[in-house]
Amino acid sequence: MGNEPQKQNTNLFGQAMARLGFTPLGILGLGILAILPLVPPFNQEYLIRWLIMGCMMGAAAIAFDFSGGIIAVVNFGYMAFFGLGAYASGLVALHWRLPPWFIMFAGGLSSGVLGFLVGAVTLRLRGMMIMCFTWFVGLALMGLATKMVTVTRGPRGLLCPPLYPDASNLPYFYTILVMSLVTYVVLSGIVRSHIGLAFRAIGQNMEGARTSGVNPLRYRMLNFTLSCAFAGWIGAFYAHFYTVVTPDLLSTAKTVEVLVIAYIGGRSSLWGGMVAAIPFVFGMELIRSSLIALPGLNLILYGLFLILIMLYYPGGAAQVYDLYIRNSRFHWLRKLSTTP
Amino acid sequence: MDRLPFRSRVLARFRLWFTSAAGISIIVAALAATLTAIDQGPYILVNTFVTGGMWGLMAMGLALLFGVMNISNFAHGEYFMLGTLVAYYLFESITKYLIRTPNSIVALLAPIFAICGAALAGLIAGVMTDKIVFLQLRKRSREEWIMNCFLITLGLSVILINTHQLVVGTSYKGITQYWEVPPASIFGVYISVDRLFASILAGIIIVIFWLYMKFTRIGQAIRAVSQDESGALMAGISVNKIQTLAMAISCGMAALAGGSLLFMYPSYPTVGLEPLYNSWFVIIVVGFGNVMGAIAGGFFIALLQVITRTYVGEGWEYVIPVMLIALILILRPSGVFGSKVRGIWEQ
Repeated sequence: MGNEPQKQNTNLFGQAMARLGFTPLGILGLGILAILPLVPPFNQEYLIRWLIMGCMMGAAAIAFDFSGGIIAVVNFGYMAFFGLGAYASGLVALHWRLPPWFIMFAGGLSSGVLGFLVGAVTLRLRGMMIMCFTWFVGLALMGLATKMVTVTRGPRGLLCPPLYPDASNLPYFYTILVMSLVTYVVLSGIVRSHIGLAFRAIGQNMEGARTSGVNPLRYRMLNFTLSCAFAGWIGAFYAHFYTVVTPDLLSTAKTVEVLVIAYIGGRSSLWGGMVAAIPFVFGMELIRSSLIALPGLNLILYGLFLILIMLYYPGGAAQVYDLYIRNSRFHWLRKLSTTP
Repeated sequence: MDRLPFRSRVLARFRLWFTSAAGISIIVAALAATLTAIDQGPYILVNTFVTGGMWGLMAMGLALLFGVMNISNFAHGEYFMLGTLVAYYLFESITKYLIRTPNSIVALLAPIFAICGAALAGLIAGVMTDKIVFLQLRKRSREEWIMNCFLITLGLSVILINTHQLVVGTSYKGITQYWEVPPASIFGVYISVDRLFASILAGIIIVIFWLYMKFTRIGQAIRAVSQDESGALMAGISVNKIQTLAMAISCGMAALAGGSLLFMYPSYPTVGLEPLYNSWFVIIVVGFGNVMGAIAGGFFIALLQVITRTYVGEGWEYVIPVMLIALILILRPSGVFGSKVRGIWEQ
């Protein structure tokens, strides 16, 4: 979104928003999302839970896309880093009496450190090998979480204290909304900075980037560590929202879910993950709850959807957006969809 | 080396092989196998051979697909699942028929029939997958081919697993044994005839496949496509047909492995995960696209898992191999046997 040439503009608010990586259309969507849980059909507790899940998946997809799309390093053990953050945060909260929002950073820190270590080993390799390696790291972490019963309570799940004492879901929703906003603003800010230029160069043409004096290993490691750290941070929110973390969270199937959302949203767009996540989660939950007699149908549809997207719109929602909204026939739509 | 007399030529080749990564790892694996066999009894070796052959077969299909089409197939385990499913239903219906009309020859041939049916189903499924999905992608765009294909196979995997669940349910559909005969004894180890047959079958298929790739014209065409696609096209090879064939062979091998291991892996929706992980371990260890190295890798991984299970305990067989693979990757990014995969510095 931020690659447009800057025009002279006196609109201070618009400029500030553009600096943060938002188009007018994005702000509109954000405003709608923020008041959605107060509007009648959506103010029921279970729908707010879906919204929370959607925001969480969206934030996870943004952080995934930061390495998966921008530098083309697919972290196929992504949910292991997410789950590590959840476990770390839950364990710290159980053993020390600290405020939970502070503890959530422990989740981010632990995943970031692991991401740094894994990155130091694997990021010298090519994309496919990195993907396999992170996948195996994910499998190993899941095995550890299942086997280290004394620490993680194994498959029975680790019980974590909730973030807020009252039972309402609304504060959780605004927490995760702010967290996903922070994720987006920080990561898109990095992508638009000079570091991000190096990232994009590495993602598009490694040889060219190296010829221009970019050290791929260093930038890849920075990117990967950040992506993992954000995953752990969001994972910590998961732990304190659902209050129970099982090894199942670390499985490949969950990674695939995030990956599908990120790719449906459009790779290397960052915002695409957020846009795709909420309709996706709602669609999945609706199909699952309305077709109980046909278990697994929602997953079949989602596999089908993934294949069709890959065949016909490999760029995902971002490609559709570029084709039909940013270059729309209507002047107002074009204006809304570009940064002022 | 050509000028040297034959004997020293052979010796030089041997010395080269012994000091290469492949040689060292094979020797280390053989040593480890011998030591554990001395410590724990020969059943370790027998176990390794039975499962290793099958993992080799699965990994060979995976490597073939990667070599010929650059597809890293995440749905490979699902073709294994398809094999178990088809073999189960074929074998069950034959058993029901046999209860009504006993016939010893049919009873003897029933498992072979079931396994062949499974392999055939895998072949057909492979052709269909290629025609319906990958041919369409080939026609459309070649950009980001590896990643797009990988995602498509992810989708395929999800679809196949859940279709299984939707159509035939999540129950375990398995058999206790194919042939109702007492186990055979090798080196004082009792091994069921099913396992013995499975490992022999794996060996036969591997040899046939090797001969096919080496000596037939179609096998040569497959190797040509895997070396250079446009070159093969210019030489008049129908690349599309070869790619469909490679997909069919790959899926057929996975389904064959599933069919012949039905007594170990009863058919249920996610039965393919374990074979999938194992064949991917193999691929990583030997390097992508290395078809023949996959066989040695299959035994290597099987040995590693058997040893882990014996000495560390059940459930650790993913943790330890991953650490070993990490070591291998750090030391040799292109895999033990070397192949097209390189580090970013030498891309």
